[in-house]
Amino acid sequence: MANITFIEASGQSTTLNLPDGWSLMQGATANGVEGIIGECGGSCACATCHCYVDDFLASVLPAPAQGELDMLDNVTAERRPNSRLACQIKASAALEGGVVTLPECQE
Amino acid sequence: MGLGSFHFDPYSPAIDADPFPTYQRLRDEFPCYWSEEAQMWVLSRYSDIVTAGQDWQTYSSASGNLMTELPGRAGATLGSSDPPKHDRLRGLIQHAFMKRNLLALEEPIRAVAQEVFGQLRGIDEFDFKDVSSQFTVKVLMAALGLPMGADALVPEQEVRDNAVLMVQSDARTRAKGPEHIAAYNWMQEYASKVIAMRRAEPKNDLISHFALAEIDGDRLDDREVLLTTTTLIMAGVESLGGFMMMMAYNLATYAEARRAVVANPALLPDAVEESLRFNTSAQRFRRRLMKDVTLHGQTMKEGDFVCLAYGSGNRDERQYPNPDVYDIARKPRGHLGFGGGVHACLGTAIARLAVKIAFEEFHKVVPDYTRVADQLPWMPSSTFRSPLVLQLKVQ
Repeated sequence: MANITFIEASGQSTTLNLPDGWSLMQGATANGVEGIIGECGGSCACATCHCYVDDFLASVLPAPAQGELDMLDNVTAERRPNSRLACQIKASAALEGGVVTLPECQE
Repeated sequence: MGLGSFHFDPYSPAIDADPFPTYQRLRDEFPCYWSEEAQMWVLSRYSDIVTAGQDWQTYSSASGNLMTELPGRAGATLGSSDPPKHDRLRGLIQHAFMKRNLLALEEPIRAVAQEVFGQLRGIDEFDFKDVSSQFTVKVLMAALGLPMGADALVPEQEVRDNAVLMVQSDARTRAKGPEHIAAYNWMQEYASKVIAMRRAEPKNDLISHFALAEIDGDRLDDREVLLTTTTLIMAGVESLGGFMMMMAYNLATYAEARRAVVANPALLPDAVEESLRFNTSAQRFRRRLMKDVTLHGQTMKEGDFVCLAYGSGNRDERQYPNPDVYDIARKPRGHLGFGGGVHACLGTAIARLAVKIAFEEFHKVVPDYTRVADQLPWMPSSTFRSPLVLQLKVQ
């Protein structure tokens, strides 16, 4: 399990205790975080679960795979160096305390 | 564990008709259940299904994803392969299915909907399947680039009939019957003719791109092209058609929801999401364990098959309050109506778009309707659930 905090564009902050293996997208949509859509269901095919990871997560997460990098070309909000797709980040104890900020728009 | 007289048999006609009371007992009493009849474990709680769906390393699709698999299919299609092969295949076609790339299809889909549902003007009673099947096949043909009109290889209805038949199974033998295998073979033969046609004269369509695609300089294996194309046609026609039937069934059954979406068609997307949660046509898929897993006190062994009962997870009261109520204001985010994880449905965007347009146009012609029969004939299938006939009476 890991506690992950989602900060929406409105400033609304939600901390979720996510089971190991759940993607941050799945955890967010199952728990009422509004700023993530996840239209494709988590197959890295829609770019509507765009998030900005904090420095801590950036330092512990594996680098994005080519499929994620390609799909990040399709995000609607500004793409930044810390842009990731939440469907490709799997919760585990190593991410405990991580914070992701959500963009103003996903589509 | 004392199971008493409890059984969950996904081949039973009673489960085809109404699996929900049995799902409730599975979730409450047997959340990790061995089905003798299906020879597989059954996971029925929302969170267990999500966990399994995300963990493709443990819950593999490479031995097949349909509850009752078709011969020779496992390992050669998107749904029945694991990463990295899965990602390779999917990378070739997923762009065509992204929402923003479907905008060009909106107008043709609306034209099809107006033509098909326009036939209902002046009619008092009809089988919704007659119109939804025409609509579905035409939309899929346009989306995939199957030859239509003067180029058509076979009548559209034959494509639809075989797609529907190949996903069914025999309740008595708990296997595919000769008629189901024949339909599968018919579809492969049809797909192979389309592939040959597009390879000889490529067009700017999905099947041409896929048939000619190369990965790292290698052409895709012919079997991968054939079986993936076969599956796209099957999944497209059967899943979209089955879901249209379930949507019409819900709106015909729940008058308040129907009146709300007819009065304000902007609510249709909410009704679509709630229908995907409430009684999605894709009820159950399977995986195979790559290692032992202990869950709820039971140890499932490496090599065992596991059913992910999406239709049960969507009714799990641990996730959705009052899950047995059809409530279009619910906005059930995170539902399992399209599965989840790397194998989540490829067609989510086109399904949402096509169903929304279909019901907008259907309701312009038939704004008020009810079901004629209380009891419906349900398709015999261990994977999908939808009525074979949905007779509607115009109010």
